[in-house]
Amino acid sequence: MAEFSAEVFQNEFLSDGATDVHAVVSVTCTGAGAAGTASPAGPGGAAEIVAVDTSGSMQGRNMEAAKHAAAVAVDQIPDGTLFAIVGGSHVATRIFPYPNARVPMVAMEPGARAEAKRAIATMSASGGTAISTWLRLADELFATAPVANKHLILLTDGKNESEPSAHLDQMIANVTGRFQCDARGVGDRWVVGELRKISTALLGTVDLIARPEDIAEDFAALVRKSAARGVAAVDLRVWAPQGAQVLFVRQVAPEVDDLTARRTEVNPLTGGYPTGAWADETREYHVAVRVPAKVVGSEQLAARVQVAVDGEVAAAGLVKAKWSDDSTLTARISPEVAHYTGQAELASAIQEGLAAKAAGDEATATVKLGRAVQLAAETGNDEATSRLRKIVDVENEAEGTVRLRRNTAKLDEMALDTASTKTTRVRRS
Amino acid sequence: MSADDSSLVRCPRCGEDGAPGARFCENCGTPLGAPAPDAGAPSEVTLELAPTVVDPDPATGEASHQRPCAACGGTIAPDGYCADCGTPGVSERDHFEERPARWVAGVCDRGVRHARNEDAMALAAGDTFAALVVCDGVSSAPDSDVASLAASRAARDVLVAYGPQGSSTVQGATSRRVAGWTDAMVAASRAAGQAVRGAAEQLAATKGKDVADDPPSCTFAAAVVDGDLLVAGWLGDSRVYWLPDDGQAEQLSVDDSWAQEMIAAGVPRAQAESSPQAHAITRWLGPDAPDTDARCAATVPSGPGWLLVCSDGLWNYCSDPHAMSELVRRYATTDDPLATASALVRWANAQGGRDNITAALARVSAAVTGQR
Repeated sequence: MAEFSAEVFQNEFLSDGATDVHAVVSVTCTGAGAAGTASPAGPGGAAEIVAVDTSGSMQGRNMEAAKHAAAVAVDQIPDGTLFAIVGGSHVATRIFPYPNARVPMVAMEPGARAEAKRAIATMSASGGTAISTWLRLADELFATAPVANKHLILLTDGKNESEPSAHLDQMIANVTGRFQCDARGVGDRWVVGELRKISTALLGTVDLIARPEDIAEDFAALVRKSAARGVAAVDLRVWAPQGAQVLFVRQVAPEVDDLTARRTEVNPLTGGYPTGAWADETREYHVAVRVPAKVVGSEQLAARVQVAVDGEVAAAGLVKAKWSDDSTLTARISPEVAHYTGQAELASAIQEGLAAKAAGDEATATVKLGRAVQLAAETGNDEATSRLRKIVDVENEAEGTVRLRRNTAKLDEMALDTASTKTTRVRRS
Repeated sequence: MSADDSSLVRCPRCGEDGAPGARFCENCGTPLGAPAPDAGAPSEVTLELAPTVVDPDPATGEASHQRPCAACGGTIAPDGYCADCGTPGVSERDHFEERPARWVAGVCDRGVRHARNEDAMALAAGDTFAALVVCDGVSSAPDSDVASLAASRAARDVLVAYGPQGSSTVQGATSRRVAGWTDAMVAASRAAGQAVRGAAEQLAATKGKDVADDPPSCTFAAAVVDGDLLVAGWLGDSRVYWLPDDGQAEQLSVDDSWAQEMIAAGVPRAQAESSPQAHAITRWLGPDAPDTDARCAATVPSGPGWLLVCSDGLWNYCSDPHAMSELVRRYATTDDPLATASALVRWANAQGGRDNITAALARVSAAVTGQR
């Protein structure tokens, strides 16, 4: 049986008149088991769909690599998992089970695995790209699966060009909460922002696969990761006292993901934030609450941060506020809060810097990416530092002064963008 | 184990053996056994309403989570904080309320800055009789919280004995009753002093402490409503105010304090009360007290009003009788003394809550005085 624990890192001391309480809550899941086994609510099992771009642009190396990757994914899907393969262009097609099959998804077993690979081999590239149709088909297929863990892997190589972007936005809104999706882009002609919209709403990740031959390995890893998520539908809950205001709720590790707008009301004082399925892992959340100031010496609970599985609270952490006139206490900043504040700012500095650069606003791009270089150094994010150095020449790391490099590779910019939300963990002694 | 041992209560938190009947652990202050706030009150006194104090959890000795939040009246969650406003739940000794009758109630609270509540309060009331006792433990002495609670209850019980349903009822014309209640007040303050000494001796016996070094001690302020007569008695700087709805508010007690001596010598009140020594009291209850006879004052109200007995945790923020009258009037939106006392304590906490706060109120109406 899965167990959750929550640990709170904060400086609870506030100076006289201060109102804002920040805390990093580290949530750890152990004993998650395999997907579909730990949920008492569902009948067990999990469902996996692989949706591969079959638009005309995929023709050649990409198509062959994608087919190979889909076959490798099929190899990795554990027996018993309901699965389907979808080919996507301006329309979506169910590749397997075959379009004429009576069942929308089948349970994996050696025979189905072999047949699915045969079906995948027949895929060919033609047509445009309308990703909303892929999501709709996946949603229809998942709707027939009586399981709690539903996961989609989506691969594209191009822009969503065969439909207005409002179509995709609407479809994302329609399917949010019904399944999770990891989105992958191959090559340099897809749009990071588009896939990020999908993966963020559907509680997954977005990533760049620079070389087609790396798709298979990535798919295999995604399937393994999904299969390890034994706990479906975990909610983070944040209670704040009467009269208080939740400023933000942000996942800060392993990736930055702002949950604030995804609040659903549990009760008037408690908001629920979906976090999807969990494997044995640790995720960290930065919670900020504004409470009315109390007199020096007072104590106040500023937030209860709870982990809810199937509506039951599985772990809880308390975020406190204590007003003090001892400045040696109130001046301290929690190293965890400082670290993740920097990491979150780093992510937005990178994204805003690249957006400015793409828009031709070199002044803003230089400032933002300079700040990013500074933050990456301060927070010890070496990966971000090395990605940034492919885009800018660093004059002074500590000051954050940089010059934009000329003739940078688009792939390097996309790699920087997709990886911008990945954070390093705070070093704890 | 002897029969005597069976009446000992072991503290569930620290393992200290409590004296028979002890309500709080003398070592760590954890509530012991099932407290009955009015266990000492004679059965003759009719208690219209049970006090709002709830028993602590017998298994843990912790203040029950079912106790309502002291700040907002909400529920204290199992994690120890209010489910609505997030205020920490407090132990029964740190915050308690009594309401022996609809027109008499009080709130005794730790405040914000102090680690524990050394104020104590004991109330009793019938239809036209009320006894309100407030004792403020001297925080320089350890275990003053035990002493002040013992003192307030002992004094309350003596006053009840002089009440209409007691064994030595004060009766007769007003002047006779003033004399009778003056005797009762002195008897009550002596009993309270004896209770403090008793507590000190018990502490010395159980903890081997040399109580002579730093004996527990406390102030004493009591008021009696006997129909149309109000009597106040005091030692130290806890106060009794009479705050009529119409007419001049007055402080019935006169502080036994350095500040008061300065005021008597002509120093302005505000200046005297803000001086560093202001709180040095010149009379108190305790083993080292020179005498324990309360000084008394009496008045016959000419109309309805509020009788207030309070510790300096309240009046420090509002000393002048007129200002106190304004303050009480502001919070007395109904005739409910508990709501008003709670509001006064919250107000004092909002001012900084630098000391323990006790506010005990009687709503003296025509129904009580028999006046038309």
